[in-house]
Amino acid sequence: MVDILPLSSYPSYIDLLPSIQTCNITNLPENYFLKYYLYHALTWPQLSFVAVVRPKNGYRQNGGADAYPKVVGYVLAKMEEEPTDGVAHGHITSLSVMRTHRRLGIAERLMRMSQRAMAESHRAQYVSLHVRVSNTAALRLYRDTLGFQVDSVESKYYADGEDAYAMRMDLSDMWVDWAKIEREDRERAAKEEKDGDEGEAVGELGKADDKKDQEKMVRVKVGRGLGVGDLVEKNEAVQAGN
Amino acid sequence: MPQPLSSKDAALFRQVVRHYENKQHKKGIKTAEQILKKNPNHGDTLAMKALIMSNMGQLEEAFVLAKEALKNDMRSHICWHVYGLLYRAAKNYEEAIKAYRFALRIEPESQPIQRDLALLQMQMRDYQGYIQSRTTMLQARPGFRQNWTALAIAHHLSGDLEEAEKVLTTYEETLKTPPPTSDMEHSEAVLYKNTIMAEAGKLEEALEHLEKVGRRCADVQAVLEMKADYLLRLDRKAEAEAAYTTLLERNPENSNYYDALVRAKGLSKDDPKALKAMYDSWVDKAPRGDAARRIPLDFLEGDDFKQAADAYLQRSLKKGVPSLFANIKALYSNVAKRDTVQELVEGYVSTPPQTNGSAEGQADKDSTEFLSSSHYFLAQHYNYHLSRDLTKAMEHVNKAIELSPKAVEYQMTKARIWKHHGNLEKAAEEMEKARLLDEKDRYINSKAAKYQLRNNNNDKGLDNMSKFTRNETVGGALGDLHEMQCVWYLTEDGEAYLRQRKLGLALKRFHAVYNIFDTWQEDQFDFHSFSLRKGMIRAYVDMVRWEDRLREHPFYTRVAFSAIKSYLLLHDQPDLAHGPMAVNSAGEDENERKKALKKAKKEQQRLEKLEAEKREARKAASTGKSADGEAKKEDPDPLGTQLVATQDPLKEAMKFLTPLLDLSPKSIEAQTLGFEVYLRRGKYALALKCLTAAHAIDASNPTLHTQLLRLRKALDGLSEPLPAQVAEAVNAEFEALLPKSQNLEEWNESFLTTHKDSVPHIQAGLTNRQLQKPDSKSQCENELTATLDSANITIDAALAGLELLNEWGSEQAAKTAYAQKASSKWPESSVFRLE
Repeated sequence: MVDILPLSSYPSYIDLLPSIQTCNITNLPENYFLKYYLYHALTWPQLSFVAVVRPKNGYRQNGGADAYPKVVGYVLAKMEEEPTDGVAHGHITSLSVMRTHRRLGIAERLMRMSQRAMAESHRAQYVSLHVRVSNTAALRLYRDTLGFQVDSVESKYYADGEDAYAMRMDLSDMWVDWAKIEREDRERAAKEEKDGDEGEAVGELGKADDKKDQEKMVRVKVGRGLGVGDLVEKNEAVQAGN
Repeated sequence: MPQPLSSKDAALFRQVVRHYENKQHKKGIKTAEQILKKNPNHGDTLAMKALIMSNMGQLEEAFVLAKEALKNDMRSHICWHVYGLLYRAAKNYEEAIKAYRFALRIEPESQPIQRDLALLQMQMRDYQGYIQSRTTMLQARPGFRQNWTALAIAHHLSGDLEEAEKVLTTYEETLKTPPPTSDMEHSEAVLYKNTIMAEAGKLEEALEHLEKVGRRCADVQAVLEMKADYLLRLDRKAEAEAAYTTLLERNPENSNYYDALVRAKGLSKDDPKALKAMYDSWVDKAPRGDAARRIPLDFLEGDDFKQAADAYLQRSLKKGVPSLFANIKALYSNVAKRDTVQELVEGYVSTPPQTNGSAEGQADKDSTEFLSSSHYFLAQHYNYHLSRDLTKAMEHVNKAIELSPKAVEYQMTKARIWKHHGNLEKAAEEMEKARLLDEKDRYINSKAAKYQLRNNNNDKGLDNMSKFTRNETVGGALGDLHEMQCVWYLTEDGEAYLRQRKLGLALKRFHAVYNIFDTWQEDQFDFHSFSLRKGMIRAYVDMVRWEDRLREHPFYTRVAFSAIKSYLLLHDQPDLAHGPMAVNSAGEDENERKKALKKAKKEQQRLEKLEAEKREARKAASTGKSADGEAKKEDPDPLGTQLVATQDPLKEAMKFLTPLLDLSPKSIEAQTLGFEVYLRRGKYALALKCLTAAHAIDASNPTLHTQLLRLRKALDGLSEPLPAQVAEAVNAEFEALLPKSQNLEEWNESFLTTHKDSVPHIQAGLTNRQLQKPDSKSQCENELTATLDSANITIDAALAGLELLNEWGSEQAAKTAYAQKASSKWPESSVFRLE
């Protein structure tokens, strides 16, 4: 039986990263260092999921052979860091399911979990991805099952010269109504302090500070020379340069 | 004390620093040299030059320069800081910490030095030091939330949960108004605090806290998971039921949720009807899911099982789900269920179920697919060890292939059947056919490569892999597999070399995997600062804890086993350093040995020459740049000649063994291999410790049985007695495993009687007998050969028996007799062919 589990949120299955890397390099020609997986898991821990075969006697608490169940699929996802269109959106870095475990709807389930997390946690307007033009099975999943649309064709996107469809799908219908939550919290707080201490205008005050504190955007190399080492250093270089 | 510079030179020095920060290395060096022309002994400038050089990859030269800088200016914090940075680059963290501390003593207010020190303390898990550093940093800049969170992490990881929570709360109290919902850092810090509360066992409090703040947290899924988890642990059943229902509505494919729901509803395992009803309701809610259909097969029995299994099997077979068998085989430990499944699917192929109604052509196609899926299922069923009948398996797979000749999975199964026949050559051949059915699919390519390696054909394996690697990488396809950390391939490749007794190449691969694990451990370094800036603290803390047990991963244990076996072999047969040679059998005379050695050395030279030529060819063809644009050097020892030339193989083995025993002490193979290393090193107390651990895991383990006797004999035959204290401790501990008063012969014969139905145990008992009474050898050989008639012998056990004859130093005639008998028992096999 295959379970769909979060990679690095709650509960955390981050120790499956080496197995996820193996799943990727077994299935796909686009491969990454472990550090790039770590980078996803630690920057957007809500967005990535893993499909594993449930161990016969359940998951372990501490130690034992069942500690590392077999990984048969994963979705590795992120938020676009410097969206060229200025719109916050998610991106699927990599998705694969072992050939032996197809036709179970695993890829669809992984995608849906990630998409919802993008909307709920990061207010992603949409999610984007690339797919080989020859990959009809994947195209069917994204377009027909999930509802993606082809945005454009990117010529020679893959290392072997194949073109990619750039696809995207709107996610805004899954957004959480933050304004409502904040309003309700304010009302609740006001009720609790019946004395009439009105602490209004909460949201805006915090925001200015928030912007200032925000980390400068970090650039990721697409492809292989990927690693946070680069990211961190680049980031510092930018600061020093300013 | 910094040496003074003229104002012009001081300006130049500032430029050097700027060039360094902007990574304009050449400009930096040039400017530094300009200063040094006038001030040749200026410590800070020398240090900066060294730092830039180290960033350009000239670490050795940089060290020389940095030492000179320090000699000129011992009181400069810059010189010490740079010295520390160089040690950091060389991954000598202890020395780096020392250097940073010197720098900090001179310049206690320096933020960058304090920060660098803190990062290393974290990397080295010096939590007390880290707490100190983080306290200082917080005091210097209390306005930054990061500094508070960092201190909380320090306390948390050091085990002081209360203090960690207090630090987080103190910061929260400085917030006059709650930050907006969009503040991710706040949202994560709040959840982090909540996990600390739960970890401290304060579940009620954590739940209350979560109810209050959770609705504002961005990680909606995590909040739901945490809440459900707490509720169930607090035994608040009705609320837990609601929480898990919500989770299941979001993701019906997580068996943990169903388990929890069963507990929350208080459903009993003895009430399968109620359980089934619950799962059925989820089938209705998520009709396309698998879990709610599959789980009931675990607890249903008898006719209920048969009915449910029938529905489940037919549905999956119609859909052509390739993982159906993998999903079903877990039931086979229950013999009745295994037989029911077999009966059902055999029924499908003899009288296929009626399809009703649909258009004729479609119905035909559907029923063909159903039939081929069923044959495919039966092929896997009869190939599985709990229901094995390889003849039937082959019949079914051939029928399936006949019906669907293009199905990659069917052809793959055919290869697997050959593997179980013990014919790795045929298996590789058939897997290659599967690969050719879909040349664009890397999965089947990987499988084909693996099967080539299992057949000890390293070249063909690499050739397959090269169809999906970047072959312009330095080192070609193999270089790319190293760079991309392809652990499975390196391990299989090394194991194939080990089987061929090509120890240099085997060790080469095993060390490559070892180094990848080092890299993975190193990878966490940047996150000590990165994650604080990103604010995703829960994930970071989980990562740190995972890194602490990184080498517990089965990828590591497997490679460690193989590496240790290689070193043991090298220790026992040092001639193997020169290449594979025939087994040292007892009868071989010295001249024969010398001749073989000469031949092996010649072959070794030939291979080295070949490798050098290949390297030249690659150099001419490639640009010499790797993916990240940095120039990569060719490996100076591609054949592992230097590795295999070690003077102390057992010491090298320790490198692999130590993490193994630390992190996987419950693995009996780790313990028995530990014994082999320690025994050869004459470390009897440690050898015994391994046996005690092995005994606690499985007292009747066959390897343990022979090792007990070998330790007894080793202790009895010591040329020099152990120091009195050691001897006393060893004797006392050994007494619990194998009492001194025990008659060894009786002990061994009783072991043989007790385990007369298990071939590995018989092999162990016979090994012991011929060890005690060398004149019983030919009798033992006969009895070993007789185990081939045993009803439950597996081909793997039979192969182990052949290995054993080598170990015993048996004559060729005995080996031939054994191999011939095995060959006729398994006529399809190739593994018993004698060369």
